[in-house]
Amino acid sequence: MVKFIKTIVILTGIFCFCFFSQPAFAKNRVLTDVKVIHASTSSIHLDPRLKGIVSELRSVFKYTSYRLLKDQSMDLKFNVAGHVNLPGERTLVVLPSDMDGKRIRYQINIKKKDRSIFQTQVLLKNNSSITIGGPQFNDGVLLFNISGSVQ
Amino acid sequence: MEKTCAKYTSEDLSRFVDNELPQDKYQTIEKHLSHCPHCSLLYDQYTSISTVFNNHVDQEILKIDPVKLKQNLDQTLKNSQKKSFGNIFEHFGKNIYLKLASIAAILMISLYTFQGGLFSPSGPSAIVKFVDTDFTSVMIIETQKEKHTIIWFSET
Repeated sequence: MVKFIKTIVILTGIFCFCFFSQPAFAKNRVLTDVKVIHASTSSIHLDPRLKGIVSELRSVFKYTSYRLLKDQSMDLKFNVAGHVNLPGERTLVVLPSDMDGKRIRYQINIKKKDRSIFQTQVLLKNNSSITIGGPQFNDGVLLFNISGSVQ
Repeated sequence: MEKTCAKYTSEDLSRFVDNELPQDKYQTIEKHLSHCPHCSLLYDQYTSISTVFNNHVDQEILKIDPVKLKQNLDQTLKNSQKKSFGNIFEHFGKNIYLKLASIAAILMISLYTFQGGLFSPSGPSAIVKFVDTDFTSVMIIETQKEKHTIIWFSET
């Protein structure tokens, strides 16, 4: 019985070591997901794939329709940019540059016809997201929901 | 209090025998004893009791071996020290790997906790370091419920 308990304690120790030591080792991949959302007041619609984020958007905006136009996942290395083609000859460039504590530093650039129209640098909480919005599109606006998760 | 004579109590005499009285009182009683038969008798009784008691104590003390006493004390001290240091590991036996694994686990948990790994960092989902745009209207919004960060810019 004592031997059994000892074995359990050893295994628990090894498990704890493996589980909790994960952050100590370098993680160099960032799973980045970009959702392109069209928000408008022309109809009443809620895309079921946007269920998680729409409640937050609705607390701020008065749009009645939220449609998911595009959902692009990218497995990016640090300092490697990911490109997402947006409606209206726009391009979204996201680049995870490094970690700042538990946050991912992202350089985000929105281009229109190869001209940079919006640039920002954000520290995104791991496994969280930010929404950037404003560009006019089809009687509504475009919202870009960018989420990041270090792997 | 039992009176031996009109002047002194038995307690006074007992204290006299034990040499617990102030000097002046001691001398007064000493003089008194020479002419008071009652007090003198009680004094003799107390003195004999005291002598018997002291002899008995002396005999008991002589029975104690100081070397053995020292050894016993040392042993007790060692045992108490061993107990305090050994308590942590006594349940683990002599398995060094078990000890190392436990220490490693504790260290990792501490490290992870201090880095904020067990608890997600508080605050907004994203901290905006800077925004650079040609458009004049830019808003940074944080939702109340989930603290979701929204950057809003108007192209018009």
